[in-house]
Amino acid sequence: MRFKAIFCQVFTREMESVISRSPHSVEAENVPMGLHDLGAEMHSHLQERINQADVCGYDAILLGYAVCGRGTEGLRAGKTQLVLPRVHDCIGLLMGGPSAYQSYFENHPGVYFRSPGWIEHQTPGTRLEPAFASQKRPLGERRTQEELVAQYGEENGKFLFEQFNAYRRHYSGLTYISTGVASDDVSRDKARAEAEKEGWVFDEVKGTLSLLERLVNGEWDAKSFLVVPPGATIRATLGEGIVDAE
Amino acid sequence: MAQSKELYDAILNGDAKKAYAATQVALEAGADPMQLIAESMVPAMDEVGNLFECEEYFVPELLLAGRAMKSAMELIKPMLAASGQKMAVRVLIGTVKGDLHDIGKNIVASMLEGSGFEVIDLGADVAPEVFVAAVKERNPQVVCLSALLTMTMPAMKTTIDALNTAGVRTQVKVLIGGAPVTSQYAKEIGADGYSENASGAVSLVKNLLTLGAA
Repeated sequence: MRFKAIFCQVFTREMESVISRSPHSVEAENVPMGLHDLGAEMHSHLQERINQADVCGYDAILLGYAVCGRGTEGLRAGKTQLVLPRVHDCIGLLMGGPSAYQSYFENHPGVYFRSPGWIEHQTPGTRLEPAFASQKRPLGERRTQEELVAQYGEENGKFLFEQFNAYRRHYSGLTYISTGVASDDVSRDKARAEAEKEGWVFDEVKGTLSLLERLVNGEWDAKSFLVVPPGATIRATLGEGIVDAE
Repeated sequence: MAQSKELYDAILNGDAKKAYAATQVALEAGADPMQLIAESMVPAMDEVGNLFECEEYFVPELLLAGRAMKSAMELIKPMLAASGQKMAVRVLIGTVKGDLHDIGKNIVASMLEGSGFEVIDLGADVAPEVFVAAVKERNPQVVCLSALLTMTMPAMKTTIDALNTAGVRTQVKVLIGGAPVTSQYAKEIGADGYSENASGAVSLVKNLLTLGAA
């Protein structure tokens, strides 16, 4: 079969790995990460890409995404079926699914997650550039103190920087999810270094490519994947199945 | 007469120092503190909300305006306490269990304070039993729940259920908010209201209490 895979940059190496082993023809479209910071705009960026793929006659459009703060809600393809993993976010996806994620999440509150993609494409202190030229809003409030001071003055700038980074005090741990890709060791070391710098407890979880693998292999069991018929729309129910088609 | 253009402008411009100074001047000139809130702070806050809706103001501007309001309230609160005037409404606010995000909640808290409400901020990662205990001890009229993750939104339901079990649900109005939260979700879990943004939250509190006024 012919698939189009539209996926978040955070899964770059993981998707390249599973696509190379898929029995199907999978055309990859890597989308810059950070869209979840744009709120409702994430939807329009992804919908545009889906619309372009929709007229190409693929057997399915695979979404290497999750609920992503409802960023994938409302997506639809008029002519092609859409497939979305039933997970809240990329962390849940790499942990293998909602129950593994929930269990870890509840037992480790205040944990900041990292994966190879998070380390390679977005580390703290690096500026996340606008993903698209059409973007009106900055990607989250990840501005440096210098930028905030330049815009708002010394006192207000420092206050704002404090506010935007205050959450870091609430966090007590950093958990690295290893996915077995080539950059794993280097990324793990960087994650560990970040934890040390922040004074957070470092933990590692062995992640899995299982969901991404099944996604590109066309193995879409109903429990793990939402298959959206052509013309139907993705809805985040946040119930047991997490997402639904309507 | 408690209209201070200086205070209004200071809040609009997010200038905490000028807000403090303008409040000082107004109070020394004999302005009534509650009227100062009503005639200078609330209109400024309404305008901040409008500018946010029009996408001229963003989160940084809200944070700065909130800080300016807090700064003015530093002078106003003791005066109200001294004169025995109580704020008509007490609001409990917190981010639910498992969720450490608080910027939105902080903005709502400062805007509610700037509207003349008494705000008790429980912080982030607040367990349902902590909300219940605070409702029993402090007798708020309103409980505001915030969540930024779809993963932690279910804690809003467990918090409302806990209030029910403790027999205190009906004595409060429960409002919810946060980026992934929706009015549909509010209905599903039995909340009394939902707001998309901070200034909406303030209007919602006012409306809910007017409607429910005995």
